[in-house]
Amino acid sequence: MPRRRASEEDETEINITPMLDIVFIMLIFFIVTTSFVKETGINPRRPAAQTAEEKPRGNILVGISEAGQIWMNKRPVELGQVRALVEAALAENPESSAVIIADEESAAGVLIDLMDQIRLGGVYNISVAAEQAAAG
Amino acid sequence: MRKRRSRADDETEINITPLLDIVFIMLIFFIVTTSFVKEFGVDVSRPSRAPVKEQKQSEIIAVRIDENDQIFVQNRMVDVRAVRANIESGLANKPDASVVVVAHRQADAGLLVRVIDQARVAGAEKVSLAAQAR
Repeated sequence: MPRRRASEEDETEINITPMLDIVFIMLIFFIVTTSFVKETGINPRRPAAQTAEEKPRGNILVGISEAGQIWMNKRPVELGQVRALVEAALAENPESSAVIIADEESAAGVLIDLMDQIRLGGVYNISVAAEQAAAG
Repeated sequence: MRKRRSRADDETEINITPLLDIVFIMLIFFIVTTSFVKEFGVDVSRPSRAPVKEQKQSEIIAVRIDENDQIFVQNRMVDVRAVRANIESGLANKPDASVVVVAHRQADAGLLVRVIDQARVAGAEKVSLAAQAR
């Protein structure tokens, strides 16, 4: 090892071009795939559904706890605040769609009110989170 | 331009070290902030009030969930596991019918999702959601 190093030391440099290529490709990949999902802050029990499909653009997440409390951006919010928060999220990313993560035991009325508020906020692509169940 | 270029041509190179610093910092930032949270969900359409009224009663398969989590398909009380078969037979009679789930405000959201899922399994393309008036 020392021998080789001494012989290369005078003029040659490590060719960093391939490394740069990889770094740039990784950078572009991460820029493209980043979607800045704002977590709800709670982890409700999702109902199971056979027709559940992945929602890759669902980056407005709204949680409903078992007691019917609405959570967004890791803090509890009132129903009236949801519209403004959805509008703000839509301004950040106009392609976003909403996913409501409702607890199995929460009331359906809260879910329906929430859907109306999200629609008023300008997001019409709303889905309800579910766990994928085996078909059968 | 030309003069400068010919002068720089012989030995000097552009110093790319600051560019590399920035690229690495951006790379690290994006690696750290990327979260691959992917939710799985069921699409639900929530129509505004106007088109629902226009829809003819005969083209709707109504599924009602009352406050005690009992399910009624076309006013017949059924179990959650029988929802799929009931909607399938309803769709066989009326192929253009759309399924409307009317949930009581106190019904479980989980049951609502399960009924919507069963309706979609039964072949209903559009499942819409309606709330019972308070």
